[in-house]
Amino acid sequence: MPENVLLLAALLLSVIGLGWFALALDVHWKQACGKQARGVASARGLRLFGGVALALSLILCLQVDHPTMAALVWIMSLAGAALIVAFALSWRPHWLALLAARPPRRQAG
Amino acid sequence: MFQNFRLAMAWVHTWFGLFLGFVLMVVFFFGSLSVFDREIDRWAIPESRFEPQPMPSFDEILKPVFEDMQPSRESVDQMRSRVDGPMPEHFDTPVRWGAYTTHRDPVLGLFAGYQVPNAHNPDELVWGTRTIDPRTGESLPDDQLKIGSRFFYPLHYSLNLHWKDLGYWIVGLAALIMLVALVTGVIMHRKLFRELFTFRPNKSNQRSILDLHNLTGVVALPFHFMFAFTGLVIFAGIYFPVTHTQLEPLHDLHEVMESQETGLPHERAGVAAPIASVDAMVAEAQRRWAARDMAGDVGFLALQHVGDANGYVSIYRAGTDRIALTGEGIHFNASTGEVLREDPPPSAVERIDEFLTGLHLQHFRHWLLRWLYVLGGLTGCACIATGFLFFVEKRKRQHAKRGQIGSRVVDALAVTTVTGMLIATLGILIANRLLPVSLPARGTWEQYCFWGIWGLAMVHAFWRTAPVARARLAPAWGEQCWAIAVLAVSAVVLNWITTGDHLLKTLSAGYWPVAGVDLFMLVSALVAVLTARRLQRRARPQPADSGELSGEAAHA
Repeated sequence: MPENVLLLAALLLSVIGLGWFALALDVHWKQACGKQARGVASARGLRLFGGVALALSLILCLQVDHPTMAALVWIMSLAGAALIVAFALSWRPHWLALLAARPPRRQAG
Repeated sequence: MFQNFRLAMAWVHTWFGLFLGFVLMVVFFFGSLSVFDREIDRWAIPESRFEPQPMPSFDEILKPVFEDMQPSRESVDQMRSRVDGPMPEHFDTPVRWGAYTTHRDPVLGLFAGYQVPNAHNPDELVWGTRTIDPRTGESLPDDQLKIGSRFFYPLHYSLNLHWKDLGYWIVGLAALIMLVALVTGVIMHRKLFRELFTFRPNKSNQRSILDLHNLTGVVALPFHFMFAFTGLVIFAGIYFPVTHTQLEPLHDLHEVMESQETGLPHERAGVAAPIASVDAMVAEAQRRWAARDMAGDVGFLALQHVGDANGYVSIYRAGTDRIALTGEGIHFNASTGEVLREDPPPSAVERIDEFLTGLHLQHFRHWLLRWLYVLGGLTGCACIATGFLFFVEKRKRQHAKRGQIGSRVVDALAVTTVTGMLIATLGILIANRLLPVSLPARGTWEQYCFWGIWGLAMVHAFWRTAPVARARLAPAWGEQCWAIAVLAVSAVVLNWITTGDHLLKTLSAGYWPVAGVDLFMLVSALVAVLTARRLQRRARPQPADSGELSGEAAHA
């Protein structure tokens, strides 16, 4: 079971990491948080957070499987995570405000 | 010819992508289903719905079955023209016996190859296959079609078009074009990273379709690229058949030299010899794997030169714990049981090859990665389908004005290969549940149903895309979505009626192969209904699209 928990955590970290990468782009930041100023969540900072989250995700994958398999799981999890982030931005952009620790943009969608 | 490089790439992407896209759609979709081919087999053959089994005892279970086997009638008939004189009634000289299993197989597939007296090419064999219940050794009926591993899977790499191996070549060409389409697509896409997460469903049709095309293409780009590429690597021997054309003498000589080097006899000795206990050899092989810290089960077991003093037994490990498709083969003298050879560790080149083929063929035990592969494959389908839709959306007004039918034909073919293919797939599963069990050549009838239903879907697609010629939405899409929903639910209900295995039962028993197929079909039905309803809303008259297209969309 702990293996499944680790893999689930890796998937979650992929989603969060790519979510931060998305928020680092102005257009997506506006979708999620509206006109609120970025403050400390500068684009650079978000990219750094995103990078760390993705690296942690890879480390978790490596804990569970042989490196060759872990690499594939990680790369494929990024594909799934990117789809989740993209569709969240299309239909529920305010969900991503959670990642920016901001109140969501008013009258979202 | 073109104003700039990007326009030239756009031309290649559009036209090559369009023509081979129809093939790629089939390859991607049935490739995705093949990830769970063994599970689909369970659904299609109710007698085989039990837990996966390890390789059974050779001495007690397999040997009597092998001794009872004979080549199939088709194999003998195909060989007839390449033999002097009549074919024998009974084939007495088995050259090769083999049994192959995976961690997902309850039933075990066996094959046997036999020498043909007076054959023009003495190395050419006739073959027989059999499927047994490894717990008892009992044979399963021969004409049951393993829809997953013997129909959907070969459809993925050969289109089941065997005439002159044409299917392999078409799929190979399509894979090559896939690589070209990916490279040209990346060149055309000006904002690969900036628009990585961009999908705007509320913009104009063209814009949102192009968004989805880019999104599905880019997020799974490593998957698309690696699978097209490794697919070509796996079949490199077919696409560059030098070993059996220009270099045949060299190839034959190499075979002999190799056998001298490995100590595995190339020819029969012509002296009969009994077979020693293969179970003891299996135990020894497993002991040696464990000593190398690679304890494992037997995946593939083969006997060469059966019943001859030069006979040998090869035992390969099942590769469930890593990507690379390795066997760690250990070879034994069949009559004495002594070890002839242990395969040495692979070289760097072999290691890369094993990784690339293993990555594609996925013998590993990893359910999450399997599902992620399905996701990758279906993302590829979405990318190709939105490519068709974009082609049509972009041109249909212009074509309607000029009275051309190009976009209507493309739309009809798109309906055929997207929704029509799903209808045919559900059709063969329904035929599998409805055709009488006693019907002779039942498996062949199931295949006829598949192609027949697909043909009907195509007729419907061409008939009901007429409005596209007037720049309107084709009703064929929505109608076929409704058909998918009805067929998918029917297949699940028929499985329940004919086998008693309804979802509550399979889920509570944790029998995922059947529960998974049923659930997958129900989810497909739901998606089909949602799509159909959305299409109905879209079909209502709406104000003209006002979205301005970027330069990229304009020349795609």
